[in-house]
Amino acid sequence: MPGILLDATEQLLNGLMYGSLYALIGGGFTILFGVMRKLNLAYGSTIMAGAYVSLIPFYLFKVPAWVMLLSSIAGAVAVGFLVELVCFRFLRKGHELAPLLTTIGMLIVIDEAIVHATGAVGLDYARPFGEESLAWGPFLVRPDYLAILVAALACFSLIFFLIHRTRLGRAMRAVAERPQAAQILGVSLRRINVLTFALTSALAGVIGFFAVVSVGAARPELAVWLTGKGLVVTVLGGLGSLRGAILGGLLLGVLEFETMWFLGTSYRDILAFLLLFAILVVRPAGLAGARAT
Amino acid sequence: MDYYVAIASIIGIHALLGLSVYLVAISGQMSFGQQGFFAIGAYLAGMGTALWGLPLLPSLVLGALFAGLIGIVVGFPALRVRGLYLAIATYGFGEVVRLVFLNIRYTKTIGDRVVGPNGAEGFRHVRYVFDRGFTGLQFLGIIAAVVAGVAVLFYLLDRSKLGATLRAVEEDEVAAATVGIDVTRVKVLAFGAAGAVAGLGGGLFIHFSSYIDHDMVALPLAIASITYPILGGLGSFVGPILGAVLLVSLTEGLRVLHELRMFVYGGLIIVTMLVRPRGLVDEALVLRVKRWVRPRPMPRGADVP
Repeated sequence: MPGILLDATEQLLNGLMYGSLYALIGGGFTILFGVMRKLNLAYGSTIMAGAYVSLIPFYLFKVPAWVMLLSSIAGAVAVGFLVELVCFRFLRKGHELAPLLTTIGMLIVIDEAIVHATGAVGLDYARPFGEESLAWGPFLVRPDYLAILVAALACFSLIFFLIHRTRLGRAMRAVAERPQAAQILGVSLRRINVLTFALTSALAGVIGFFAVVSVGAARPELAVWLTGKGLVVTVLGGLGSLRGAILGGLLLGVLEFETMWFLGTSYRDILAFLLLFAILVVRPAGLAGARAT
Repeated sequence: MDYYVAIASIIGIHALLGLSVYLVAISGQMSFGQQGFFAIGAYLAGMGTALWGLPLLPSLVLGALFAGLIGIVVGFPALRVRGLYLAIATYGFGEVVRLVFLNIRYTKTIGDRVVGPNGAEGFRHVRYVFDRGFTGLQFLGIIAAVVAGVAVLFYLLDRSKLGATLRAVEEDEVAAATVGIDVTRVKVLAFGAAGAVAGLGGGLFIHFSSYIDHDMVALPLAIASITYPILGGLGSFVGPILGAVLLVSLTEGLRVLHELRMFVYGGLIIVTMLVRPRGLVDEALVLRVKRWVRPRPMPRGADVP
């Protein structure tokens, strides 16, 4: 294989692996939007909150990685409940813009709490997957990227099982489609909302662990980066569409790695946002979306 | 004293950003990319005075016009998209603008200074205001005059046919189209005008601070600019101005609290939305004030209940 094709394929693999992290972020945004019809702008901060919580046992007891993953999930779920309680529970119905601002307020509060707790310096994170690249045929694969791919496959299998094969999932889909009708049939909206929050927050915990592992250090600014990626992927795929989010995440990942390799870092984000703009102009409801808001 | 003048100047500049988002919002759209127009206005107006030797006013107009033009060009494709999709699409536009300015280099060496957009270094030494010996207070006067002028335009818009047309498009596009309103044209026009207002704010900003870089027009500015109108209320143009006054003076005023400042700030945004989900100056309040200011005379012959 000529060199350029080899490079392109290697970046394709990297992009698919890293893109599955973007897919997870988009998945968290989109599930919540699908069920509650509201955008949670504090989601990126929830992810970082989970990662920071997992630093506590890491620094105190040098716990193994799987304990950190679990504590990241626990931390994110706790913060997620707080977000639901403060930003959504008592909000009056029928005001589209209000939840955007309450979650912005929460984003500010969570970020500030993190800055206060850590003094705004990057904190070294665990490197459970080692530093050595794995050789796979002619390609070098980063082990943490591979771990992200495995985690994403596991998470999405679990989520699809939950949504399509369980009573809870059926209730969630019913609420997503027709909240009033679902309520008449005995589905408790509040219970579904809280459980959806629990699900997406647990996902945030997983994302927090793997995102910070791949970056190497926990920094407060990562919340903005995660929020940006999440919004782009969610909208690229179509709000409320899980398949769209997966597709959008992988596409963004591949595009980023290819442009970074062939054109350099400075073009990476420009192309990503131009792609977003172009896709929305051609398909105003996202890649997989048919219904508009 | 200088400190308060600086805060008042920032309030004026941010009020223009808020008004820009408001103008898009009253035609039923949500933009999360007005910081892009702010950046365009800032860079162009800065180039006007610092590189091309133009006076302040033409430079500001140039920046605003160019931002407005870009608004119209972007508006045509962008306005196919609605609601949150549009908000994110415009955010994408804002980020593209930011990243272009992160990469663009167009500098001249004037004296011993390198002036002009200089990539990640930003655009430094826009010293027109300082070189001409304006005091902070005088420049605040210029900012206040511009904001007042724009506010008057909004006031006139509110009571003009065009204003009613915008509100009609916001309420119901289909109904508006049925009564003969060219919905696309109205939306693109509003988007272009909003771009110009944000560009004007940017032009004032770079002359106020003498400096801008790509980091200053990133996500936090986008968040701030939608916070002003939503918190202040979309019932009247007073809303976004009030939002800017409150939030900017809060961030500065709360400095006495040091540590707790941002907690109070974020908390206040949440509480305000829980209590007044349509903002402080909502439609109901506007109606009440209007009735109070000008009680409508009863139509002749009407039964008084």
